[in-house]
Amino acid sequence: MPVRRVAVTGLGVVSALGNNLADFHRALAEGRSGVRLLPEDVTLGSGVQVGALAAWDPAAHFKGPEAAALDRVSQFALTAAGEALAASGLVGAQPAAAERDRIGVCWGTGMGGAQTLDGAYQSVYGRSDFRLRPLSVVMAMNNAAGSNVAMKWGLRGPFANFSTACSSSAMAIGEAMHAIRAGRADAMVAGGAEALLTPGMLAAWQALRTLSPRDANDAAASCKPFDLRRGGLVLGEGAAALVLEEEGHARARGATIHAFITGYGNTCDATHMSKPDRDGQVRAMAQALAGSGLAPDAIGYINAHGTATIVGDVVECEAIKAVFGDAALRIPVSSTKSMHGHLLGGAGAIEMLAALMPFTEGVIPPTANLEQPDPACAVRHVPLKAERGEIPRAVMSNSFAFGGSNVVLIAQRA
Amino acid sequence: MDTLARIKDLATKELSLEPGKIDPNAPLADVGVDSLSFIEFMFKVEDEFGVKVSDEDLRKIKCLADLERHIAASLPAAGKA
Repeated sequence: MPVRRVAVTGLGVVSALGNNLADFHRALAEGRSGVRLLPEDVTLGSGVQVGALAAWDPAAHFKGPEAAALDRVSQFALTAAGEALAASGLVGAQPAAAERDRIGVCWGTGMGGAQTLDGAYQSVYGRSDFRLRPLSVVMAMNNAAGSNVAMKWGLRGPFANFSTACSSSAMAIGEAMHAIRAGRADAMVAGGAEALLTPGMLAAWQALRTLSPRDANDAAASCKPFDLRRGGLVLGEGAAALVLEEEGHARARGATIHAFITGYGNTCDATHMSKPDRDGQVRAMAQALAGSGLAPDAIGYINAHGTATIVGDVVECEAIKAVFGDAALRIPVSSTKSMHGHLLGGAGAIEMLAALMPFTEGVIPPTANLEQPDPACAVRHVPLKAERGEIPRAVMSNSFAFGGSNVVLIAQRA
Repeated sequence: MDTLARIKDLATKELSLEPGKIDPNAPLADVGVDSLSFIEFMFKVEDEFGVKVSDEDLRKIKCLADLERHIAASLPAAGKA
């Protein structure tokens, strides 16, 4: 039986770079960062200074009491998925129940409804009255964002929610690809969301001593992947969604195909909770290449995990060199986290959108703030400015998570 | 505003019921209010009227008129004015 090919037919996003795909693409193409000083009511006493906070007005996207029943993470998820579905045209035609049974959702998030949970704890601890909103559980639970997406459009096919920290939504995309390939679905909404810029969550991240302090001159330049001056990651928030569709299904309805998802590597370091492991990353990249049936030099752009931590960036560059050999010196590598921040559970999906930009925009997005490349990160960088050139045959996106989960996705030109 | 008017007002906002078309005696389940929406609504009612509704009493409230009677009985005499 021939392999069912998995097409990308719709994209959507919410981020500090804008709450739609056009704004997001424009910012990345301009190398413009969405990182900024966080307001006092977000940081409280956490000590965190900067983040990639989305400019978000729930009333602009949801009517009446609807927003009040949705955690911020679900609001992001619904907005990104709505843009992707509208762009794909998949649900515009009011699919019948039998069709909706063949459309599913694979979603990813690290901390789920963090704002609901943090707000609930704030309101009860230290007080005698433990009185909380009845919707607290269903707003905060980790699968709420994905379930809201399924409910809103009546998508009754396979459903899964992945929570593997920074690889969650890359895994969601990979597993959605498998669901379509295996014939369990004709289309899937795949993506992820994160909204954990709350005082309690920020304090927990600050305790890990892995966050970058603000850049003394320019808060927007605080995240510096692969740069000698890098000082850690910058947290972001938002969501990204892709509509994945079996090729014949997409062609039959005349949908625009932006790319094909062809490779998915998934490994676990099984060594350490937070320390990155070169071998686990190498195996994930090799697996994704083998699954795609591609030689390493077919890859024309790598959207790196590139969190801008001291150790993480070096290990990833070593892993890339181990997999790609001499080609590593030619293949453009960038970390767009320098602009949209680290979306954690949403990172894999938003970075897949960035990785697809050579296909969708004819542009390779850069690593912002990369002015002094670390010699220990000797790959072929795309510093500061986007590059335009020949559209590559394939692109790769890396997502390496706390807990040792490594996910690598490969997409090919349509 | 009397108690029923305040309840109707809250039901309009929180349950998206159409103002002017609210029948206080209509079972809430029959006008599309599911159990989860109902308990969330009751949380707001408790805030609005400063009352507490026990789990046992909650199960007896089937319509807005039941709710009005419960609130009237819960409020101190001065609050009924």
